[in-house]
Amino acid sequence: MTGDAVWYEAAQVVGITNALNVAEDTLGALGAIDESAAPVETRALFAEIRDFYGSDDVPQGFRFIGHDPLYAADVWAATRHAFTDKRLARRFKEALAFAVSVATRSASGATLHLAQMRRLGVGQSGVMEIVGVTQMFSSYTKIADTLQLEPDMGDIAPEDTSPAPGGPSR
Amino acid sequence: MPTVRLRTAAEYPPAAQKLFELSRSWFNHDFAEPPAMSRVMAWDLDFGGPHGRAMKRAMTPGEFTRGEKEMVAAAVSGVNACEY
Repeated sequence: MTGDAVWYEAAQVVGITNALNVAEDTLGALGAIDESAAPVETRALFAEIRDFYGSDDVPQGFRFIGHDPLYAADVWAATRHAFTDKRLARRFKEALAFAVSVATRSASGATLHLAQMRRLGVGQSGVMEIVGVTQMFSSYTKIADTLQLEPDMGDIAPEDTSPAPGGPSR
Repeated sequence: MPTVRLRTAAEYPPAAQKLFELSRSWFNHDFAEPPAMSRVMAWDLDFGGPHGRAMKRAMTPGEFTRGEKEMVAAAVSGVNACEY
């Protein structure tokens, strides 16, 4: 996991996962869009989402934000981009999203990404590995916060001196 | 500034020195002093021992690599807003 590119990629997954969980866990009062009465663009968007997740269901968060089809389309484009295989495999990205969902107490996110992990071939032992990492680091972080420990391991990894994508070397 | 005074490795008993050695080996890094968290966990080995074993079991490569798990740990620390 050396080099900054994989960390940027992971940050996208963490960020957009949190955004989807926030919507799905809190916007019930907004009500889900009625797909049968939705514009053709929204129905096409939902079909693409179903295909990506290999599921008959569309995550409820997209049904909530689907009231604004252009906004929902952009959120979905960012989501699809973040979760697509690149330097990090989608299988791992779903595990990362599962961990983030568990750590942020998002039952809907944990359910979605656990299902996706399994669909992509992660076994029960693999799931428990991610549960273990998530749980133990939820402990370490609170111990560190309680004692107000200051970071002291930041220099273990070397700095990545490469430029931003497409940018000149320094 | 930490809530407690973090003791130097030299202030810990021999049993804790073994844990510091494991920490050095785990991170494959020669620290001037063991990481603060290692010294915190060595304060009470009846807690730090099983806690550390559970962490090591979780972080050992399996279906996911150690590197992938370190990334998950960093993300979990991030969403828990932990700077350490």
